[in-house]
Amino acid sequence: MNIRSRGFLLFAGLMSIALVVAAACSSGTSSGDKTKTAAAGGGKTPAAGTTTAGGAQAPADQQKITIQLAEPEFYDPHRSNFEQDIGVERMLFRGLYNLTDDGKGGVKVVPAMAEGDPKVVSSPAALGRLAAPAGAETILTVKLKAGLKWSDGQPLTADDFVYGIQRECDATVASPYQYVLGAGLGELKGCDDLFNNKDATKTQALTAALGIKAVDPTTLQITLNKPVATFTTIWSLWATFPSRKDIVTKFGDKWTDPANIVVNGPFTLKEVVAKDHATLAPNPNWVGQKPALQSITIKFIDDLSAAFKAFQTGELSMTEILATDTTVAKKDSALKDQVVISPSARITTVEVQMKDAILGANGGTPDAVKKAFNLRLALSRSINRQALTDVVYDGVNAPATYWVVKGLKGFQGNEAFDKTIGYDLAAAKQALVDAGYPGGAGLPTFKFTTRDNKQRRDEADFLAKAWGALGIKIEPLFVDSKTRSAAFNKGDFQLFPGGWQLDYPDIENPLVGLFDTGGGNNKYNCSNPAVDAAFKEAAAATSDDARIKAYQKAETAIVTNLCGIIPIYQDAKPFMLSKKLGGVVPNGTIDAGQPGNYCVECWFVKK
Amino acid sequence: MTTYAIRRVLWVLPVLWAVATLTFFLMHAVPGGPFTQDKTLPDSVNAALNRRYHFDEPLYKQYGYYLWNASHGDLGLSVKGDHEVADVIRRTWFVTFQLGVLGLLVAAVVGLVLGTLSALNHNGPLDYLGVAFATIGASVPNFIMGSFLVIFFAINLGWFKTLGWGGPLQVSDIFHASAYDWRKDVIPVAAVSALPSAFIARVTRASVLEVLSQDYIRTARAKGLREQRVVLRHTLKNAMIPVLTVMGPLAVNLVTGSFIVETMFSIPGVGRETINAVSARDYNTIMGTTLFYAFIVTMASLFVDLAYAVVDPRIRYR
Repeated sequence: MNIRSRGFLLFAGLMSIALVVAAACSSGTSSGDKTKTAAAGGGKTPAAGTTTAGGAQAPADQQKITIQLAEPEFYDPHRSNFEQDIGVERMLFRGLYNLTDDGKGGVKVVPAMAEGDPKVVSSPAALGRLAAPAGAETILTVKLKAGLKWSDGQPLTADDFVYGIQRECDATVASPYQYVLGAGLGELKGCDDLFNNKDATKTQALTAALGIKAVDPTTLQITLNKPVATFTTIWSLWATFPSRKDIVTKFGDKWTDPANIVVNGPFTLKEVVAKDHATLAPNPNWVGQKPALQSITIKFIDDLSAAFKAFQTGELSMTEILATDTTVAKKDSALKDQVVISPSARITTVEVQMKDAILGANGGTPDAVKKAFNLRLALSRSINRQALTDVVYDGVNAPATYWVVKGLKGFQGNEAFDKTIGYDLAAAKQALVDAGYPGGAGLPTFKFTTRDNKQRRDEADFLAKAWGALGIKIEPLFVDSKTRSAAFNKGDFQLFPGGWQLDYPDIENPLVGLFDTGGGNNKYNCSNPAVDAAFKEAAAATSDDARIKAYQKAETAIVTNLCGIIPIYQDAKPFMLSKKLGGVVPNGTIDAGQPGNYCVECWFVKK
Repeated sequence: MTTYAIRRVLWVLPVLWAVATLTFFLMHAVPGGPFTQDKTLPDSVNAALNRRYHFDEPLYKQYGYYLWNASHGDLGLSVKGDHEVADVIRRTWFVTFQLGVLGLLVAAVVGLVLGTLSALNHNGPLDYLGVAFATIGASVPNFIMGSFLVIFFAINLGWFKTLGWGGPLQVSDIFHASAYDWRKDVIPVAAVSALPSAFIARVTRASVLEVLSQDYIRTARAKGLREQRVVLRHTLKNAMIPVLTVMGPLAVNLVTGSFIVETMFSIPGVGRETINAVSARDYNTIMGTTLFYAFIVTMASLFVDLAYAVVDPRIRYR
């Protein structure tokens, strides 16, 4: 063997050793064994994760944390649409009411800036919904707590709430969430009129006619078009936060810059470095529980895989991670106790276009409608939801045959629907025979429009195999988010994985407008007499219990008829939460952006 | 040469116009808009939002307004936060610039040194190392390279950090010591320079090998010149011409490669901004960042062409 050959062999040997050492030293494993069946979920709803409520606090100079979040578009609650914006605004502002964990996995409304519950001055009925005649308004008063202040020391008065609502209903501000105060939801008198107004000469009069007035500096009078059962819930939302007229007028769109912003929440915005991070500091004039944290740095990170790595290097105290990284984290002895799975207020479904002649047969003959139902039933009963969440989402999400999320009053759960639409391969095959397509014979290939990322691809692959076993073929179309949403909004789809993220924790939110015939968000064209009748019953209910029972009937009619949706799982968000961080109590129905951020003043660094 | 340079600079304007026009109409041809989302906004809200940003005007009017405003330095407002697009670019270009320049410098130094050593130790251990490096660098995508480097050097060894940029975010921060944290920069710069340095190494190796076989190199050695002088003075200078040829496209590659690296490491640069803008259909930001990159690429191309003339006196432009 000559010198050159020996040199080459030596080199190759050294390279091989280097590669082996690198592989051995790399942390974690691959994203998980895809053949495993029961993972962390184990057939049960994922645990809410370890809470970190207890522990002694570290000294004040150590009360600093860095957390991950996507960059908010706005810090102005009347311009915001996305979870990350709302999550930060909750830290900066508070409304009349706030939502909080009720200690039983649910949610309760508590007064924040308000002294207590609203007082009804006049109403055609109790605060349940009522098909009230025109002009049958409900007038309420809400008293503010004494001694409220903004962060600059100025008193927080009823006028600030009035101005906040005026901005919310102002079309030039163009709030994406104005509709929660409009007809069918918040029913604030005059809000829709002002928002839809295009005649500048009428703006002043319409603003004056808005159903909110400051009776005195600490009393608000609110006029609703009709009684609204969810009043305190809706008035906890960011869309109703107060605003300072002098600040907004002086600084215009720059009023939320750190140098200009005034807040009434537990934290204020100290610094924003665009595209990089924001820093929050305690508001010295906050009236609630004094925050222990002296600084919260929010790093703007979109790539959750990168965020997970940053958590491992100690650069972050809290971050959302990908479902596939939970397996890596749980296998790591240093990380496993820091994984928190927080149920999300969202159900993912396969949405079905009911106008499609084969899948829905809306308006077709009774026979065609029945066949279409049986086809949808075959699709539903052939999905092993537990296996899907285990294989694609590493057991993070919870299999669901229900639509109203866990944690809401009126939740019915899998027990109500498993027997009718849950996994049963024999029943699926029979349903396909009843539909007139034994073994899939005669069926076209259905388009399956989904997002182009790894998890959605894996999900499409799983469903294609599940349905393929019956002879039902799908053609996945992988597109980006906006293209997908555009197709959905036009109703241009056959099968479409989608869902609904709660705007506020009430049973009406995932139902009204989504399943009533002609509803604004009813893009799958569900049109079912039993569903419409249940909605009418809910609208006419005069007690909360009756209202909730009616909505439960609506959910039952929707799910058992698979009217536009085939529920698959309730989402959950996995987070890494440092062992040193205390006071974080996740509540999936009200968290926005981070777990437990409805009470950021409760967070602290442990000793 | 001066006339040539002036002519090339003047060509930038029609190039930018063409890029702006193509981007504008392609952008609007793609499904979905800035306010498109699954949770359909009520018509009244959509109308108010479109009115606010003038997206309710006919397309030809929007195009005309955009060109007029852009020619006066106004690149419009981003729908994400109402920031002026010019301001967004102003706040982010310096980070992308640093990443690009450092990446190119590292790529040039590593590639030239490795390529030259490989050629000088032809078929020896250094040559094999150089070829292996070049193959790995050219084959492994930069986001996989970045992930590997993070796991090995940041997580396992704890040597480096993984988030953000460890340099001044603005030009005004250059002299602030607190703006610097080199531990954040090593892995992103390594990831972005891996492919270019591999490419430069291969081209340099081939070019140096070719020059070394030339008669004038044999003559130089025969004259008794020291090997160091032969390599540095006679070999490298002549071997640089093909290398310069590829530096221009590599600079472009660095620019586009930085999109992924900036997103991976949450670096607040123009690349990350562009990706976010495309996903969000943030029309004004897409236009602004595309024009920015078009300008950079045309100027980089011009710079390389002019550098040619400096390196090779035989080249004369008319």
